Amino acid sequence: MAHIVCSHVDKAYGAVNVIKDFNLEIDDHEFVVFLGPSGCGKSTLLRMIAGLEDISGGEVSIAGRTVNDLEPRDRGVAMVFQNYALYPHMTIYDNIAFGLKRMKVDKAEIDSRIKTVAATLGLEPYLSRKPTELSGGQQQRVAIARAMIKTPRVFLFDEPLSNLDAKLRNHMRVEIARLHQNLKTTTIYVTHDQLEAMTLADRIVLMKGGAIEQVGTPAEIYERPRTLFVAGFIGTPNMNILDVTARSDGQDWLLEGDGLRFRVDRNRFALKEGHAYTLGVRPSSLSAAPLQDNRENTLAGITDLVEFHGDSALVSFLVGGKEIGALVPASSRPKTGAPVAFSTSVESLHLFDRSTGLSMLRMESQA
Amino acid sequence: MKSRTSLPAVFLAPPLAILAVLAFVPTAYAIYISFRDRELSRPDGSFVGLQNYLDLFSDRRFINAVGVSLTWEVLTVTLTLLVAIALGILLFEFASSRMRGVMTLLFLVPVILPRVSAAFVWKFAFHPLYGIVTYPYKAITGQPLDLLSSPATALMTVALVDVWQWGLFFAVIVLKLLETLPPQPFEAARLDHARPWEVYAYVALPMLKAPLISLAFIKMIESLRAFDLIYVMTRGGPGIATETLDMYAFSQGFIESGRISYASGMAVLMMLATTVIFTVIWKRVKP
Repeated sequence: MAHIVCSHVDKAYGAVNVIKDFNLEIDDHEFVVFLGPSGCGKSTLLRMIAGLEDISGGEVSIAGRTVNDLEPRDRGVAMVFQNYALYPHMTIYDNIAFGLKRMKVDKAEIDSRIKTVAATLGLEPYLSRKPTELSGGQQQRVAIARAMIKTPRVFLFDEPLSNLDAKLRNHMRVEIARLHQNLKTTTIYVTHDQLEAMTLADRIVLMKGGAIEQVGTPAEIYERPRTLFVAGFIGTPNMNILDVTARSDGQDWLLEGDGLRFRVDRNRFALKEGHAYTLGVRPSSLSAAPLQDNRENTLAGITDLVEFHGDSALVSFLVGGKEIGALVPASSRPKTGAPVAFSTSVESLHLFDRSTGLSMLRMESQA
Repeated sequence: MKSRTSLPAVFLAPPLAILAVLAFVPTAYAIYISFRDRELSRPDGSFVGLQNYLDLFSDRRFINAVGVSLTWEVLTVTLTLLVAIALGILLFEFASSRMRGVMTLLFLVPVILPRVSAAFVWKFAFHPLYGIVTYPYKAITGQPLDLLSSPATALMTVALVDVWQWGLFFAVIVLKLLETLPPQPFEAARLDHARPWEVYAYVALPMLKAPLISLAFIKMIESLRAFDLIYVMTRGGPGIATETLDMYAFSQGFIESGRISYASGMAVLMMLATTVIFTVIWKRVKP
């Protein structure tokens, strides 16, 4: 078992710095997800840990050993690739056995270990087939079997479910979660899918432009996004974003914008008088309110569009020219053109500095 | 599908007619005269049945030529592929993309050179007194080194020139083939405890099995046509040490005795043998 430490890791391609001063400690048995939009450097980072990319600066250690200059095979890691990367000319059996054969494990042991792994992943009927004769989900299971059988210290997953269709993706996600529950191997999992990240991760590392934006448990990241970027990236449907200006009435902060006014506790946010902020509120934390003019902590407008989701519906309306979405139970969804009003509790409001994008939540209230 | 117009026939007829005149007529005529005793010095000849073929099998020079031809095939095809794969992998593994471009250009030069020119260049390079290849040996030992005049080394020396032309060209093809492969299986193999040579031996080359077999076939056919190279460098000598089948047929038919029927018999046998052997190998290796 192994814990992983990245300290001051840099990656540069020529003059372009794609990873800048990356620092992270991953505990033994932990399941960490690198999440971010494409091009944020999450895959590059994973490949650096695997040894497939050079480390331009800083240090990566696995189980207390610096691995910067070690060959991939000597790092004790196993990786599952997005496009499976199976050996096309070998049978499934040989694909899974390849690593063990290279490690000179004797035949009888390889055979018994493959039987065990194949049973775990339901691959027994396919062992004598070639990869092209298998479906995408089955191929990815083979790739996981190939990684598992080496009993690595660290599992690395590089967007393993991106090539699968939605239903299979859900299924495989559950399988990966179950696998980690049983094996407890330290795992790094790269994805751009926030649902995968939220459901699988012990901790999420949210990245943007080669740097960490926020590290935390899924709940922390969802409930207390450190920046506007995190708030916008996590959560479906997307968070509603509104421009406001802060004003003190001596007792509370008043946040005023085009067609809206919110009153918040001074202890909750550290604001400056007359400063411009961005207010965020999730569609799910809006709840229907009585129609009434100029109420505080309320967003009102004319229903623009109603998207039916099944149990719920997303109601879109305009407030001060900005589109706002609110999730309502499907049974009580309004008709297009109907006036609506939604209120929200002050606790579910997020405030970010307009220029820096940083959350204005006070430290003491973040605990 | 039945075509509604005669357009395909219109377009196909002229080339097929030319092909018939250029290929089928001589072939048919060769088969015809191989059953006669026609000689270049006489205008007539009579039907002799299989006599020419029977004579061939008791002709020790013919048996020698068969041996030389087979050796030549095996030698040049094997060496060409080995050199191509080795150089292709070296380029793929160690050369930067700029370096690859330069090397590709250099590797293509020999095969662009007309083979007769290549043969003359190398014949001179192997010259015992003035050759640049043999110079170091002469400088060290004081003895001239005449590779092309020794029965033991002549065929091998000519084969080296053939490999120089084709091995380098095929190395470029192997490099390009390697570049078309998806990189992930290689990366997976590196994580699967494979050493660099194992990545190539167990992953990259097996993935290229089909195109490499095609390359082998191209080279086998190409090696059959090495007449000009051997003719310029050794003329089949010393003695008959490098006399291949086509060379022997040529000298029987035109140079030495003008026994055109005898030579045709040889050519027909060669055609039959290559057709049969190639068909068998093709069926065997086809996946």
